[in-house]
Amino acid sequence: MQQSDVLRQSLMDTVREACLIILLSLVAALAVNLARTDSIPFIQNWSIEERLSQDNGDSLAIPLSEAETLFKENKAIFLDARGQELFDEGHIKGARNLPWHAVDDYFSEIIKDMDRETPVITYCDGESCNLSHDLAVFLKNMGFTHVKILVNGWTVWVENNLPIEATDK
Amino acid sequence: MNSFYRFFYHLTRLILGAVFIYASLDKILHPGAFAQAVFNYQVLPGQLVNLTALILPWVELILGACLLSNRWMTGAAGLAAVLMTVFIGLILFNLARGLNISCGCFSTNPEEGPMDKLTLLRDALFLVLAFCLVGLTYYKKSNYHKNQLYTV
Repeated sequence: MQQSDVLRQSLMDTVREACLIILLSLVAALAVNLARTDSIPFIQNWSIEERLSQDNGDSLAIPLSEAETLFKENKAIFLDARGQELFDEGHIKGARNLPWHAVDDYFSEIIKDMDRETPVITYCDGESCNLSHDLAVFLKNMGFTHVKILVNGWTVWVENNLPIEATDK
Repeated sequence: MNSFYRFFYHLTRLILGAVFIYASLDKILHPGAFAQAVFNYQVLPGQLVNLTALILPWVELILGACLLSNRWMTGAAGLAAVLMTVFIGLILFNLARGLNISCGCFSTNPEEGPMDKLTLLRDALFLVLAFCLVGLTYYKKSNYHKNQLYTV
């Protein structure tokens, strides 16, 4: 058998075996998902509206205009769910940093002067950023009654030239 | 195949097999959480998020089982190298655009912490192992064919 034949044979084996592994995986994945009680739909709507709608049909999202009004009237606390480094680089003026990835470390300190009835607006950055959503759900579970999410908050806030600040070091 | 190559071949396949199986388990147990992790990468259209979250862990599991049991090795090694390349590409892409998300590599828990350069380094190590295994598998295979030639 020539070297080129060996290589060709090996490549054919690679493709055939890889296809078999993928095919087996496909069958196993679909069969197990059909059989299990906590199955997920094969195709799901991942739009922002769908992800932020609550069981009662209300949306967790707050329009920028409403967030801006609450900001100007100083009636809401803005919570930045991003990491501290990004928060220090720039954030909504007066916002507090409650990084979702370290929420247990910061939570008590951040909320110590907050009433559970205080309107809270969480935000992060990016249309699909999930940190603010996870933080909002966490806060609701912790008893906060007026929690909203400003979707893509940092970007829309900056694009609309609303007040921002950086952390002095 | 001399004893050094044989030892290294078995070592790499066992390490990678264990890694892929370990990586698959939490994802298979928590498909909803893994779908969220896949979505957070923001690279797939919404229609493919759940399908990917359902199928990928099983590919990892079966691939890992093939590596551990020394079966379908050319396909398994090749697939391992392809998967590790894709994973590293995704991590690099998201690190470059500053996305603050969990890797979802071994745990679907979003509180495990965002991916960072250590995540990249760890996956790069697995990628090197995967490419070594591809080379060793082809080497073993070509030796096998040569021996076949001599024995015919």
